[in-house]
Amino acid sequence: MRNKKRYQDIEELLAAGIDVYTTVNVQHIESLNDVVESITKIPVRETVPDYIFEQAELVKLIDIAPEELLRRFEQGKIYRPERATAAMQNFFSKENLRLLREITLSKVTDRISFENQNEYKSTEKTINQRFLVCIGPSPSSAKCIRWTARTAEAFHAPWTVLYIETPQSAEFTEEQNKRIRDHLDLAARLDAQIVTLSGYHVAETIAEYAKLSGITNIVIGKTRRKKSLKALFETDLEDKLIQLSNVEVYIIPDQDSVKPYKPRIPLISPINIVFSWKDTYKTVGSLIAATLISLLFQKLGIGDQNNIMVYILSVLIISRVTTGYAYGIIASVLSVLTFNFFFVKPYYTFTAIQAGYPVTFLIMLLVALLTSAMMVRIKAQAKLAVTREHRTEALYELNKKLLVTRGLENITQLTNNYIATLYERSVIFYSEDPINGNTGVIKKASSEKDVSFLCSDDEQAVAHWVFVNKKRAGAGTDTLMGAGAYYMPILSQGNVLGVLGISCFGRVKLNHDNRAFLRMIASLVAMALERQRLSDEQRQIMVETEKESMRSNLLRAISHDLRTPLTAISGASSAILENKKTMDEQTHDKLVNDIKEDSQWLIRMVENLLSVTRINEAATNVAKAPQAVEEVVAESVARVRSKFEGCNIKVKVPDELLLVPMDATLIEQVIINLLENAIKHSETGSPIELIVKKYGDGAIFEIIDNGVGIPVQELPTIFDGFSPGKTKSSDSSRGMGIGLSICRSIIKAHNGKIEAKNKTGGGAVFRFVLPLDGKVINGK
Amino acid sequence: MENKPIILIVEDEKGISNFISAILTSNDYSVIKCTKGSEAVSMTASYCPELILLDLGLPDIDGIEVLRSIREWSDVPVIVVTARNNEAEKVEAFDLGADDYITKPFGTMELLARIRTAIRHKQNNSYNPLQTDKIKIGGLVIDAVKRNISLDEKVIHLTPIEYKILLLLAKNAGRVLTLDFICKEIWGPYTNEQNALRVNMANIRRKIEENPAEPKYILTEVGVGYRMVEGI
Repeated sequence: MRNKKRYQDIEELLAAGIDVYTTVNVQHIESLNDVVESITKIPVRETVPDYIFEQAELVKLIDIAPEELLRRFEQGKIYRPERATAAMQNFFSKENLRLLREITLSKVTDRISFENQNEYKSTEKTINQRFLVCIGPSPSSAKCIRWTARTAEAFHAPWTVLYIETPQSAEFTEEQNKRIRDHLDLAARLDAQIVTLSGYHVAETIAEYAKLSGITNIVIGKTRRKKSLKALFETDLEDKLIQLSNVEVYIIPDQDSVKPYKPRIPLISPINIVFSWKDTYKTVGSLIAATLISLLFQKLGIGDQNNIMVYILSVLIISRVTTGYAYGIIASVLSVLTFNFFFVKPYYTFTAIQAGYPVTFLIMLLVALLTSAMMVRIKAQAKLAVTREHRTEALYELNKKLLVTRGLENITQLTNNYIATLYERSVIFYSEDPINGNTGVIKKASSEKDVSFLCSDDEQAVAHWVFVNKKRAGAGTDTLMGAGAYYMPILSQGNVLGVLGISCFGRVKLNHDNRAFLRMIASLVAMALERQRLSDEQRQIMVETEKESMRSNLLRAISHDLRTPLTAISGASSAILENKKTMDEQTHDKLVNDIKEDSQWLIRMVENLLSVTRINEAATNVAKAPQAVEEVVAESVARVRSKFEGCNIKVKVPDELLLVPMDATLIEQVIINLLENAIKHSETGSPIELIVKKYGDGAIFEIIDNGVGIPVQELPTIFDGFSPGKTKSSDSSRGMGIGLSICRSIIKAHNGKIEAKNKTGGGAVFRFVLPLDGKVINGK
Repeated sequence: MENKPIILIVEDEKGISNFISAILTSNDYSVIKCTKGSEAVSMTASYCPELILLDLGLPDIDGIEVLRSIREWSDVPVIVVTARNNEAEKVEAFDLGADDYITKPFGTMELLARIRTAIRHKQNNSYNPLQTDKIKIGGLVIDAVKRNISLDEKVIHLTPIEYKILLLLAKNAGRVLTLDFICKEIWGPYTNEQNALRVNMANIRRKIEENPAEPKYILTEVGVGYRMVEGI
């Protein structure tokens, strides 16, 4: 099953840009759910969140008189006859239909009047009212939520659902926890803002939050409780709220109180009495110690009142070192009994003759009880604080690490490790939609054995859904809940930057708290990813700019360089054609020769340019294949020889075969360029050496000439050929600069190095190194 | 009318086909020209040329396709003319049965030499399937019967594999043999021994060439294959 509810299908269709026409019965609207139930006495389970209804562009009311509807029922136009009778007996009684009709009409009226108001008002919700509804594990909380949703809607005011985690929350039964989860889910469906806070004093926390967030109306549920001793000492929540703040308080009565449920703050919850030998030893030990000390005091003649103190101290210690209330209370009672037994006349009996002692016992018992209760409370608070601290610490830690982490891969790794250790669950991180063939990065939690299911097609489909719909899905959600993991999007400004999957396979589903924390982590990761994306983009732009400027420089340089020989060719050829008769043979031949030379120069130029396109085509790196160095060298030398007759090139290659990964055509071009350069800058016939050597993990190519050498001021920029800073006209060098610059680009693309220097005694040495394993060469 | 060999030039650039035909006519060939791939196929069928110069970049269909369809029924020598410096395309052309290739820009002498070689090989293959027992190239003599090789009267010792490679190249002297082709001939199909071939070739060169970086006998067509010269 893809989605749990049909309205989720509608959302998906809308997201895909498909118009949806649909019908809904009024009893299925979420916020009206309890109203309908209270009228018809029949709970409606299937509901549609209000925002779906509100999102509708156009609402058309299909109104029909109850009598007519019932007639259609009888005629079997709505359900099959047998179902129709059942439906008519239960839900669709005439009375119910009339009421439902009324609700429908008023709902539509509300909508229309809201739309009319909107015509002249801004669409912003009015800010002067803010509703806050406080919820707990009581079933009536759902009613409070719905009531607030309806009211907030009527006022067009924003509203918040607040759940306060108290030390007692840890003792909730599974059923109560589930109810809280359901309530929060309901609130989410009704589009509320959800806030979870933890604190000991519920009223104070609510008041504090209300003050900070500008809440104007607080909604609480109230159960009618039996008057109890405790209730006498305790102020009601609403009274406290009224004392603490001046916001309006609405109280929603809990009519379901027929079904008894545990009071919110039980004094001693049964789960608390946990028997442990360790705590028993501690209790008995402390009491014996207290008794011994008191016996000592008695011997030394120190008064009874000190013995009482010693016992109270021991109760305090017991409450401190044991878990729960149980041992503290037992210790209180025991201490009173032992005190009575050992130190009250008559000694070694449980009777007390002396007047006033019963009062002493009572006070002692009360003090012991109160201190033990207080101790437990302090401990619980400390524990909460520690948990909170730990969480904040963890987030801070992650943020700190993310700030210094660079690169998508590292961010992914860090996040995965972090979540895996925090939740003891395996994590999968998709930085791109798996539909594009991307597999996520998995971090296996140590407690899980097999996580291969995370890579299955089904799981990837869920991740894909999350990418497309920008909503969480998978285990524990309403969408694609058959999945083995819980998937949540990492959102930044409405864009999905990644999807996190947390394995729930064969485990408990993630609770609301975990999810909220995960959302916080996700927002941190989103920031990190966004930062990474921006810096990547910037780098990309820089690379593009550099490429662009190189291209435009090249174009400028060659268009000038090309013009010269082309002018010469076209001039010479037209001279021949126009002066055919008057021209002597010598001039004719000279002109034709010029044409040939210039066109050969052009050919060389174009070949260089082709090399450049070859580098640019292979986006980042050139296509390399192992080539025998001697073969490449031989071909280059042969080509240079055929172009320059009378050149004197000496070639030396190593005795052993040297295979180097390279793009042979490009390296050939480099050798040809360097050899031509050497020929140009030395006298005809002077020897030029080409030496190839193996050096470490690189192959060194050296082209040595005996010519004029390189002017010192040009050495640093010799490979910059067409750098914009070069003011010298490129006429003089006739494009050789371009040749050298192309050499450098080619060698760079091979992860190699190229350098030029002057030889002692005249002449230049050009040397380039190619790595034998294709990796970057370090050092010389 | 004398019986000049007919050469079909398939080339869409007028300038180039003009100068090629000028060279060929003055070298005693008879020339027919066409500019489209489809024409090339039909003209091959009707004129039965001695040789085809086929440009790979044609306006209607790719030259490779023309070669494919001609090779379906004819083994006329085809020299591929390509402007692209693309080894993969050259290798593909050879695989489809091209006899040689020549890259633009090319020299007149080079073109004529290639044409002569291609025509001669065609005649050899069709009329003398059994080649001469002794192949002589410059100072290199290969005796296929005695299975020995000498260079400038001195006996050269080759391993069996090296001998096979050298013999294969010598039998096809003047023609380019692709790396793949040589590997299949020597090591059989379904293997890729290109690196082994390079190593063997390096060894052969060290035995028969003065300087392996300036070979005289076996030339490298980088990225494509090897060619044994016909004579020095």
